[in-house]
Amino acid sequence: MNKFLKRLGVTLLFIVFFVYILLDVDFNNKRPVIGLFKSITHSDSALEIVDFSVDKPKSNKVRPPANPDRNPYYGDLHVHTKYSFDAYVFGVTASPDDAYEFAKGKGILHPLGYEMKLQEPLDFYSVTDHGFYMGMIQAYADTTTDISQNDFAEPFHNLNAPENLVVESAGQRSNIFSNVLGAAIAKPVPWWHPRTLKAWFTNNTQLALESFEYNIHKSAWADVARSANEHNDPGHFTTFIGYEFTTSTDTEGGNLHRNVIFNSSKAPIRPWTRIDSINPEDLWTWQDGLREKGIDTVSMPHNSNGSNGQMFEMETFKGNALNRKYAEQRMRNEPLVEITQVKGTSDTHPLLSPDDDWADFEIMDKRVGSRPPTYSKPSGGYVREAYLNGLTLDWTNQGNPYKFGLIGSSDTHTGAGSFDESNYWSKIGLLDGDGINRGSIPVSPEQEQLLIDYMNAFNQPNALIELEAGKFANTGFTQWGASGLAVAWAEENTRESIFNAFKRKETFATTGTRIAVRFFAGYDLKTIDLDSDTLVSQAYKKGVTMGSDILNKGEIAPDFLVWAQGDKNGAPLQRIQIIKGWIDMQSGTPYEKVFDVVCSDGMSVDPLTNKCPDNGARVNINDCSISQNVGATELKSVWVDPEFDPTVKSFYYVRVLENPTCRWSTWDAVKSGNTPREDLHQTIQERAWSSPIWYIPAINEFTIIPLGGTVAIGDE
Amino acid sequence: MKTKLFLFFIIGLSIYLIDIGLNSSDNTKEIYISDQEVLSLVSAWESQVGRKPTEDEITRIINNLIEEEILYREALLLGLDQEDRIIKRRLAQKISFLKQETSTDKPSNDDLIEYYENNKDRYYIKSAYTFTHHFFSAENSSLIRSTNGFEEILNGSISIESDPFFLGKNFINKNEDEISRNFGKLFSQNFKEDIKTNEWMGPLKSSFGHHIIKVNNTIPGYYPLITEILNQVEIDLLAEKRDSAIKDYINSVKLEYKIFVNKNLEY
Repeated sequence: MNKFLKRLGVTLLFIVFFVYILLDVDFNNKRPVIGLFKSITHSDSALEIVDFSVDKPKSNKVRPPANPDRNPYYGDLHVHTKYSFDAYVFGVTASPDDAYEFAKGKGILHPLGYEMKLQEPLDFYSVTDHGFYMGMIQAYADTTTDISQNDFAEPFHNLNAPENLVVESAGQRSNIFSNVLGAAIAKPVPWWHPRTLKAWFTNNTQLALESFEYNIHKSAWADVARSANEHNDPGHFTTFIGYEFTTSTDTEGGNLHRNVIFNSSKAPIRPWTRIDSINPEDLWTWQDGLREKGIDTVSMPHNSNGSNGQMFEMETFKGNALNRKYAEQRMRNEPLVEITQVKGTSDTHPLLSPDDDWADFEIMDKRVGSRPPTYSKPSGGYVREAYLNGLTLDWTNQGNPYKFGLIGSSDTHTGAGSFDESNYWSKIGLLDGDGINRGSIPVSPEQEQLLIDYMNAFNQPNALIELEAGKFANTGFTQWGASGLAVAWAEENTRESIFNAFKRKETFATTGTRIAVRFFAGYDLKTIDLDSDTLVSQAYKKGVTMGSDILNKGEIAPDFLVWAQGDKNGAPLQRIQIIKGWIDMQSGTPYEKVFDVVCSDGMSVDPLTNKCPDNGARVNINDCSISQNVGATELKSVWVDPEFDPTVKSFYYVRVLENPTCRWSTWDAVKSGNTPREDLHQTIQERAWSSPIWYIPAINEFTIIPLGGTVAIGDE
Repeated sequence: MKTKLFLFFIIGLSIYLIDIGLNSSDNTKEIYISDQEVLSLVSAWESQVGRKPTEDEITRIINNLIEEEILYREALLLGLDQEDRIIKRRLAQKISFLKQETSTDKPSNDDLIEYYENNKDRYYIKSAYTFTHHFFSAENSSLIRSTNGFEEILNGSISIESDPFFLGKNFINKNEDEISRNFGKLFSQNFKEDIKTNEWMGPLKSSFGHHIIKVNNTIPGYYPLITEILNQVEIDLLAEKRDSAIKDYINSVKLEYKIFVNKNLEY
């Protein structure tokens, strides 16, 4: 008997050990045995589709017909409202409905009480609140909810009751943002709790978190989706259901944030968030899963500048080598990158492009959300270098995962994007809503004390800086700016048409100005009469446009047609540039060069330097007035690369520059009768960037064809 | 009788005075720290730091609370709360919040119709125009060229030399706002419902140069039926109700106040 028990014990021990080993087998960073078990027993809540469409009465409003030559539609795909955990802490009470009203031209109130209103309405808009903990903070703050009765909710109580919406609460807010939020969110319920089981069986980790309430989360998401569908007005105003996948690397806080937008009025019952996985590759797998169910999505990384070089890494999230499969999946799901927004511009960095005279533009060199603000390594964080690295990866037959198009957006957290330097409210509500807090207007002694308290709470050194112009807050907000817009070339202002433009990458980005730019490449664009009314339709017929590939055609160099129109309410145009990147085909070494291709005021490009002469446009810093009668309303030309080599992999994208104007910090100072800070750029040149056109010497099995296909011409 | 009454008066007065003397000093110099207050601070501390505070730390938390309360009371005694804009604003906001919260009922059909009738203009659908144009770029003496071009057209010329416009030649069913977004305000102001159709006009100046235009068709503006825009009306009405709750409250109380403002103040 005793022997039998002993044997049983040993057998059991062995079985348990064997099962454990079996479950834990790690193959290629996955656990296939657990995965198999999961796929049999689990439902996946993140793939459950809900129809959020709104019953709308039929309208008789006339709808403009589609334009086969396409129109430029201006919008913002990065907007936070009170449902974002941080926006709520920043004092924002604007709802998605408020945000969409703002985009359509209505004024809405800033948390500090002043009106925010667009000079010109936008054509499309997407509210993209942070997916994780969406709606939860609002529920903590509302003392009538059950969840607010918990200890962890207490610091949030009545956070945004109007009596707390004052600048003086900034210290408390920053503190909550940096400390309490993290602690409140991380705590799981005990392992034996029924919620743990439910989390396991529905593949929904957040259910196992003590501070999480699924119903509140779902209803916030449903309201975001409802609002988008409510305000979508085909032919006149387009909205997208969207959210932000707010993830980062776990060791160095490398920002890997992405916005995800949906092409449909249907969407999953909940967003896929960093609680599901902090690995962006899992996000793409989820997007692939949605696509199989008929829901198409596009995700768009942003603030690569603050990613400490992680956004455009040369290895996978887990440190493995990039391969063709990775490149295909990334390009299938991420055709666009947000190149500019409030938190700086990610075109290139002076250290990466020392020969580019315009590289030092709205550089934000800190990691996103770091406390204290920590330097972000430039390499790996800027789009031009990513394009170049993409060529090298392609050259080494790993596939090019960096063949993306460009958009801008605001990342406002007040529901209202701030695009105008002369009317700027930055983005995080009470924390940067006035010139003193964001460091453009000198502080008074009382404010100085407040700021010191604030810095203590925010764990930020160097709170104040003494300059000739006075004593200023030096909080990092000075590196932010009034930017940017996403522009799509689409047949009509509908969800379908604009979404297809995103997939084609037929997009450009601006720093908030309404510059418009056309860009084509082809083999006989020179034969098109630039003064012809059919210029655009001929260019579409004979060439490819931004976001596409142009294939080799023997020894012939392609023609590039560029045409830019200035902002009717902004400064005139100064020049059009084409930025070329290519690699040495022997070694894969990347190179870049900036060519001015059209100059304003009838001037021509110096063939030795490839630069336009100075057009003499100046800004009067005392009142921000600009030179009259200098610059152009439109610029147009056909250009051929003087250094073209038909065997070399390369890309070309357009940068259009306006004449200089005052930066927001100068406007703040001028409007309040102060002297602008001498340590900041006093003027900027507003600009636009097109998506690139890639030149492909020869297609091989490693050439990546992104989502939406590649429109290409060449040898038929 | 009179002396008794006087005596009672004296006794009463002295009790009253003693009471004032004792209590006033006592009341303002006593600080009660409630258990609740301490516990909530301790839990906030815990969730920030991730562990329970030590005895020392709790003492410090409580001391801070005491010091804050003392400074607050001393400030009140010195009257520092008066004429302080921040304090006024906080209190004003606190009461507006309380008053705002009370109205979120779903509006009735009658309410919606009434609201729509009163705010009809907000929902007006503007006239839409279909037109074609010849464009003369400001980059190349647009006024002279467009004036000449217009004359040629009047003289029966069918094709005239003009420049391609960035956004194209034909514009279909665009309202004044959309035209303004494409051409600028100066140009869009020319579009009124009685604009001449099927006739060349010009030159008209825009932000980009000059244009000779021909309007082919005008769809007059109209007020939509309320059923077409019901959802929007409801959203707007609810928003207005929330705003007006506080305004109504102010107006009802305002009558009790007499307000003096110096009309001769120079700004």
